[in-house]
Amino acid sequence: MAIEPKLSHTAAMILQTIHAGQIYGFSLMEATGLPSGTVYPAMRRLERDGLIVSKWEQQSIADAEQRPLRKYYKLTRTGVTTLEAMHKRYPLLERLIPSREVKNA
Amino acid sequence: MKMRLLLHSLPVSRFIIRCAALLAPARERAEWLAEWQAELWHVCHSYHARSCFHGNAEVTDFCLGAFQDAFWLRWNNPRSIPRRVFRTGSPSRCAFSLAVWTAASLLICFCLPGARRAIRPSPYRHADDLVMISSGGYSGAQSPTIRLRDYQSWRTSAQHLFTGVAFYQPIRKRVHITRHQFAELSIGRASDNLFQLLNLPVPLPVLSDATDQSNREYTARLILSQAAWRSLWGGDPGVVGRVVRVAGQRALIVGVVSKSSWQLPGHMDAWMLEDEQHLDALPSSSRGFVLAHTRTSGSLARLDGWRYMTVRREDGANDRFDCISLAQRAQMPSSIFLFTLILAFLSLPATTPLPLGEYPRHSGRLPRATRARRWIFLSIKFALVVPLVHFTSLDVAYGVQAVSFTTAQCIQLAISFFGFLFALRWILQDQRKRCPVCLRLLSNPARVGQASQNFLAWNGTELICAGGHGLLHIPELPTSWFSTQRWLYLDPSWSGLFSDAYIASASLV
Repeated sequence: MAIEPKLSHTAAMILQTIHAGQIYGFSLMEATGLPSGTVYPAMRRLERDGLIVSKWEQQSIADAEQRPLRKYYKLTRTGVTTLEAMHKRYPLLERLIPSREVKNA
Repeated sequence: MKMRLLLHSLPVSRFIIRCAALLAPARERAEWLAEWQAELWHVCHSYHARSCFHGNAEVTDFCLGAFQDAFWLRWNNPRSIPRRVFRTGSPSRCAFSLAVWTAASLLICFCLPGARRAIRPSPYRHADDLVMISSGGYSGAQSPTIRLRDYQSWRTSAQHLFTGVAFYQPIRKRVHITRHQFAELSIGRASDNLFQLLNLPVPLPVLSDATDQSNREYTARLILSQAAWRSLWGGDPGVVGRVVRVAGQRALIVGVVSKSSWQLPGHMDAWMLEDEQHLDALPSSSRGFVLAHTRTSGSLARLDGWRYMTVRREDGANDRFDCISLAQRAQMPSSIFLFTLILAFLSLPATTPLPLGEYPRHSGRLPRATRARRWIFLSIKFALVVPLVHFTSLDVAYGVQAVSFTTAQCIQLAISFFGFLFALRWILQDQRKRCPVCLRLLSNPARVGQASQNFLAWNGTELICAGGHGLLHIPELPTSWFSTQRWLYLDPSWSGLFSDAYIASASLV
């Protein structure tokens, strides 16, 4: 029997926002309206629990756009499964921050 | 405005992030800083692109969030020392909590005047030779028990026992502070040798020629308490030498004494020292307190370390008076502490079994230091719990000024005894629930066996060390073959089931 992870509404919202395509810390802040002191620790926790992974972008991309290197986040397979479980727990989550597929549709 | 702009400038924002970076663990600091600096660049870029008026303040708010992020990283770092030290159930957390509670109770003790007096030694020199005389069985009484005529008689007839005898009687009298100002004060009407006997320096009035002639005519000397001097005379240093009217008498103010100097029964705002002639004018049956300085070669009878005096009455019967030294009075809280501690130790086996359980020899794998740590931890708990209970009992018993000394002693006795009993019981119970290797509290209790098969198979509770050091079996019903809890060490082949990080950290703390 799979153990359903327990996530707070904030953590689920951040997970949903990353899934929706906001893959940087600041864009997550803007999309959710949460302060930096909440968003970044929540991302660390999600990364520690293996629900998201972080990766630095390529140096060439940053150089071409003349800006510093940025770290972006994406959901792992476990993260996707957890998010699906969270949709049952928080049914309005998907309507609050629609996923890419929903938006494109 | 300029200051505000400066506070929200980009260099200040960068500085905030650099400061927050100091909180992040050293290994992750460089990457953490790079991410936050990159995010800062994007935040600034975004606000400037929008030409947002409040952008600068929002950038600063964004940067302040870095502290929370860095703190989270620090706290959740498996190698973090605070995390290891304050981990739930760790021995260091237990010792730290006890130390904090003990320090808090000691601090409260110093803040409450009554409790502070109880832990301090007697302020009187030669307190061993100074005795408070009271009627037999009333040694702790807060109300006067000695009649004036007894005092008058001892003054002359007990010179072979005492080098000096002093009398004081607490009264409430109206004092004329100024011509139109009165105050009702608690006054100790006393014989003029009271402060001499207590070895407290009382200045004799020195009146200069310039002193008003009316100030030279007085019948008593008045010594003010510091509190009364501050509240009624506004702390005026010129008050000494003034004459005030107290109970129809003219009294010359000769000095001020601190509150800590007076540790005898009765709360006094002032002391009126009168000569024997004036004291003799009081009704001979009025009661007061009597203080005496014993001769070193005195022959006061001793009974179980208590001195007493027997006086034959005119009708042939004997009156017994207790003579308790001021040193003995001051040591009373300490004596109660020792008595209750011993009593709690003696009562402990009636409340909980004393053995800590069966711990098999671990084929020499456990270092001696690890084995010693268990006993050191037990000693630390004991060393912290004993002062904690003692100071708490003093805080409760003597912190409330309204209760009498005897009531306070009874409260201390009760709190101290039950406090020690439960604290000692807790120390043993807590020790039994800990892993002998990492000293962490055992977790995950599991019921094993069936109660109905108690005499056929083992039945009880099993607890496990989260570090994988072993299992604790606690029998439901002690039997002849399983009377006490037993510890089972797990061999290293089990370590795969437990977190490596945890085992590493457990062996460190």
